[in-house]
Amino acid sequence: MTKKEKKSFNQSLAEWKLFIYNPTTGEFLGRTAKSWGLILLFYLVFYGFLAALFSFTMWAMLQTLNDEVPKYRDQIPSPGLMVFPKPVTALEYSFSASDPESYQRYTEDLRNFLKPYDLEEQKNLTACPDRVLFVQKGPIYHACQFPLALLEACSGVDDPEFGYSRGNPCILVKMNRIIGLKPQGEPRIECISKSENTAALSTYPPNGAIDLKYFPYYGKKLHVSYLQPLVAVQVSFNASSSAVKEVTVECKIDGSPNLKNQDDRDKFLGRVVFKITARA
Amino acid sequence: MVKKTLEIYSVELSGTKDIDQTDKGDGKEKYRGLKNCFEPKKNHQKEELKKELDLDDHKLSIKELEKKYGTNIITGLSSTQAAELLAQNGPNALTPPKETPEIIKFLKQMVGGFSILLWIGAILCWIAYGIQYSMNKSSSLDNAYLGCVLALVVILTGIFAYYQEAKSTNIMATFNKMIPQQALVIRDSEKKTIPAEQLVVGDIVEIKGGDRIPADIRLLSVQGCKVDNSSLTGESEPQARSSEFTHDNALETKNIGFYSTTCLEGTATGMVINTGDRTIIGQIASLASGVGNEKTPIAIEIEHFVHIVGGVAISIGILFFIIAVSLKYHVLDSIIFLIGIIVANVPEGLLATVTVTLSLTAKRMAKKNCLVKNLEAVETLGSTSVICSDKTGTLTQNRMTVAHLWFDNQIFIADTSEDHSNQVFDQSSGTWASLSKIITLCNRAEFRPGQESVPIMKRVVVGDASETALLKFSEVILGDVMEIRKRNHKVAEIPFNSTNKFQLSIHKTDDPNDKRFLLVMKGAPERILEKCSTIMVNGQEQPLDKSTAEAFHTAYMELGGLGERVLGFCHLYLPADEFPESYSFDVDTMNFPTSNLCFVGLLSMIDPPRSTVPDAVTKCRSAGIKVIMVTGDHPITAKAIAKSVGIISANSETVEDIAKRLHIAVEQVNKRDAKAVVVTGTELKDMSPEQLDELLTNYSEIVFARTSPQQKLIIVEGCQRQNAVVAVTGDGVNDSPALKKADIGIAMGIAGSDAAKNAADMVLLDDNFASIVTGVEEGRLIFDNLKKTIAYTLTKNIAELCPFLIYIIVGLPLPIGTITILFIDLGTDIIPSIALAYEKAESDIMNRKPRHKKKDRLVNQQLAIYSYLHIGLMQAVGAFVVYFTVYAQEGFKPSILADLRVEWENGNVNDLEDSYGQQWTWYQRKYLEWTGYTAFFVGIMVQQIADVLIRKTRRNSIFQQGLFRNKVIWLGIASQIIIALILSYGLGSVTALNFTMLRPQYWFVAVPYAILIWVYDEVRKLFIRLYPGSWWDKNMYY
Repeated sequence: MTKKEKKSFNQSLAEWKLFIYNPTTGEFLGRTAKSWGLILLFYLVFYGFLAALFSFTMWAMLQTLNDEVPKYRDQIPSPGLMVFPKPVTALEYSFSASDPESYQRYTEDLRNFLKPYDLEEQKNLTACPDRVLFVQKGPIYHACQFPLALLEACSGVDDPEFGYSRGNPCILVKMNRIIGLKPQGEPRIECISKSENTAALSTYPPNGAIDLKYFPYYGKKLHVSYLQPLVAVQVSFNASSSAVKEVTVECKIDGSPNLKNQDDRDKFLGRVVFKITARA
Repeated sequence: MVKKTLEIYSVELSGTKDIDQTDKGDGKEKYRGLKNCFEPKKNHQKEELKKELDLDDHKLSIKELEKKYGTNIITGLSSTQAAELLAQNGPNALTPPKETPEIIKFLKQMVGGFSILLWIGAILCWIAYGIQYSMNKSSSLDNAYLGCVLALVVILTGIFAYYQEAKSTNIMATFNKMIPQQALVIRDSEKKTIPAEQLVVGDIVEIKGGDRIPADIRLLSVQGCKVDNSSLTGESEPQARSSEFTHDNALETKNIGFYSTTCLEGTATGMVINTGDRTIIGQIASLASGVGNEKTPIAIEIEHFVHIVGGVAISIGILFFIIAVSLKYHVLDSIIFLIGIIVANVPEGLLATVTVTLSLTAKRMAKKNCLVKNLEAVETLGSTSVICSDKTGTLTQNRMTVAHLWFDNQIFIADTSEDHSNQVFDQSSGTWASLSKIITLCNRAEFRPGQESVPIMKRVVVGDASETALLKFSEVILGDVMEIRKRNHKVAEIPFNSTNKFQLSIHKTDDPNDKRFLLVMKGAPERILEKCSTIMVNGQEQPLDKSTAEAFHTAYMELGGLGERVLGFCHLYLPADEFPESYSFDVDTMNFPTSNLCFVGLLSMIDPPRSTVPDAVTKCRSAGIKVIMVTGDHPITAKAIAKSVGIISANSETVEDIAKRLHIAVEQVNKRDAKAVVVTGTELKDMSPEQLDELLTNYSEIVFARTSPQQKLIIVEGCQRQNAVVAVTGDGVNDSPALKKADIGIAMGIAGSDAAKNAADMVLLDDNFASIVTGVEEGRLIFDNLKKTIAYTLTKNIAELCPFLIYIIVGLPLPIGTITILFIDLGTDIIPSIALAYEKAESDIMNRKPRHKKKDRLVNQQLAIYSYLHIGLMQAVGAFVVYFTVYAQEGFKPSILADLRVEWENGNVNDLEDSYGQQWTWYQRKYLEWTGYTAFFVGIMVQQIADVLIRKTRRNSIFQQGLFRNKVIWLGIASQIIIALILSYGLGSVTALNFTMLRPQYWFVAVPYAILIWVYDEVRKLFIRLYPGSWWDKNMYY
């Protein structure tokens, strides 16, 4: 038996060698040079054709699109809420008031984020009437001013450290942009501290109000230099609490019946939960 | 090694008898040898085997036997002796073969085929989940679910396959059933009834008609005992038994009764000489279970296919795992990619589909009288290249029938078809009138009463085979034979016996004016002629001269040469003056003349071929299948039947034929000139395997005659050495080793013994050779159709795989999820792939050669390449277009999708911007991703509709094949669409399934690609048809 196997192993080795290159027929990997040539040519043509066809259909498909507005918006009927600065991993902010290094990233982020909101930048923007939807017909779409002053203590104007250095950090809450969204009622962001006694929350603009004049949004292409309305939350920890202070904050859109804030699956639909850990 | 094997079989041939109780150790050794007969053995063992051949219980006298077994035929063994022997030799029962425990069989199903790959996938899923869980306690359960789903898929398909396998029964079951329950034994000088299991060697047993013989026994005294040995030797006629030693061969001698055969009539006393596994039947049973079940060709093909697909899956998986890791992907992510690649590559539903397809064909074959026991055997018949067929019952009708008549110096042909309806010979001659009278009257056979409504040929007759044939023959021609016999009252009769070799009866005639008695006689022609002095020609008596005697001899030789059993007929009207009406005939003193009779004619009988067989043999021949006849019958008869059914074709000759034609000695004939050959068992016995090989390759038309049934095994092995796929037909217990050894064993449903049916893979319900041909046709069709099914199933694997590859390399949001893939593989694709089994053949499949086991693979390179790299790739492109359309129309243009993967999948990014400046939460994106899955799924589904249509044919245009001929395909397409609609619109809200409601227009995006697939394949087929043998044909025909 073993002898037979050995033989067959040698045989198969020889067969392999013959398969790789067969000197009598000039076959390389089972094909002659001509056959290889034909095969390569065939696939070149075939795949070239497929690629062309793919490009053509993609081009044709793109022709059906509108540059300004996506064809369908059914999958984002209601905006999500998001906070700023962007934390490193999960929505957890951790810093030490005494260590500027620990919050430098956050403040830098905030400064960058608020750059478009500079008075200088907003010069050309329209001062829109308050508390009404700013519906426009085009062809030129105007963006409304969002005065930084609305953010008061969190505007970064008075305090370039956004309260971090004093242990009362500012977090910006913003609502996702959705083209054509018209909030009903008087939308506002309401934030509550889940751990009641550790910290007090202040929201700017007062009451966390979001003015209707920033809606609807007309899209990146038409609505150039559109400014998203912002709400700032400032956390003031109680003096009595211990060296490491923690608070979990939940913010929700409120006051607008068509903006959802309760969805079992989407934890960010109209609400956002984040945690702040401040060390001394 | 082969030589040794032969010797072991020859042990069986000579019927190893008698294992001395003192020789028990050797006995065990021997059985081990039998079971492992394919392993090399030591020499001394071989010699022991030979020694056992000398056993000769049938030759010994009663005194010697008594001495040998320490028993006494009057008093029997003593109880203590018996108990000792029982303890020593074990019970008189067949050892059941070691059965694989059911749980092992079940587990084998769980790890066979693709299962192992899917298990790996499932385990990787759980590992991935474990890692995720350890990092983040609230991580999503997706991977754990996916692992469970994969495990479930494996377990369900495993249960399905196990259920199919469990249906095939165990061969030993019937051997066990054959064991008699009780035996009448003499022990301690008393007759006792004991369970047959307790019999020991040396016991004296009594048997009577109706009993099953409880062990191998040497008969000591016999009263008119006949046994049915058909289950052992294949001889269907009852065998007389006597206490005399009549033949050297234990199987042939009359003084041995074999275990498990039936005693039909009479009584006998015998001494037990072998019990349990040491009986002849026990040895055959162990031989049959020792012969491994050969892997069926389709099992080999499927294994080959699994290897290809598994190889592709593993190599792509590992390749991309490495690529992913080197692209700085997290190892965990890379593992998840690996799972996706495995799931996309493995056609999960295919093996179940193949099983269903095979069982559909099996059902179809059952309708045509081929009952398939082992599903895979369905295809085996299609790849059969040699059929070793029995003669009796399979090729022939298994009943003696009058084939020729000779009277008036002329040979007449009788109709031998199944219903005898068309007797065309000249019945006007006076000689025929006389002959028909003799046939009618000189016959003891009778119809069993109450069968008036049954067609004559199907009626049950009491009498031997020849008399039955004559009775039916005369009943068909003359009408009510019983009535004729009544009118010609029988006054005296001498039945046939082997010393007289004739049968005689004297009748009153039915002519009221003729007071003479009529003496009629039939028998061996030469004996009859001796008794005659005249011969009847054209109704006139003429003196029997030399020329008429010569004519008789020529006719006799001619009919005998056809392998037919010839009978002579003569009569004499007794003169009324010498034998008045009151004359009393005495058969003992023979007070009547038995010479100087008048010879009337000859009649020859044969077991004629079934009328469908010649056609079937021709079909086999044009299908490239060699039909070999293997029979226990006489060479002349075998050759005659072989010629009449076309196994030996009309224009081919054997060496002997050539010798006869050229009037030279057989040795002088050039063997190469002969195409046909008739080999007898004796010649076969002396052949070396090399000689047998030579014989099998050199002659295209072979008949094996006078073979002992065990020689079938040698013949089968010889054919298998030529790389042939061998089908064997058989009916006796003795055939079961050959049936098992054959690639496909075919047992006879009517004549077959249970053991044969159990060993076989297929049972012919009507015992008809022609049914095998239908089976071959179905088998070939299923092979073709399986090719189509597999090509269909493999195609979409690429469309499922590409998304993963592109996802890894380009970083698009995942186009199709693992669960979604499972819904294609086990959902939409199942019914269409089964529907391909209903496809009709493209051309006459019975006109091509049987497929070459090693060259014509089920899944060949062309099939894989065409499915994967041509159609599969088109499908992938088409499905991607649908995917991109959905994303673009929702706001994500293709340009920003690239490299978006990391942010897209990050649960903390809930303000991801699309091409229009809108921002998406993670869950909103996820929902869009599922919409993408659904779109991709629909894209594949739509193109699979085109795929199933193009797979209808491999060469012909679909329009040639008929677009609507196979209705099941359309059912399959409808099922595909309905399942997809249900998944999208019905279950779109069940998030775990990852389906969403898709806008109606997206269902049509891939349609142009589906049409392209159709057109492309039509072009491919057109070029194949236009340029056969060209480069295109070689590369594009699968």
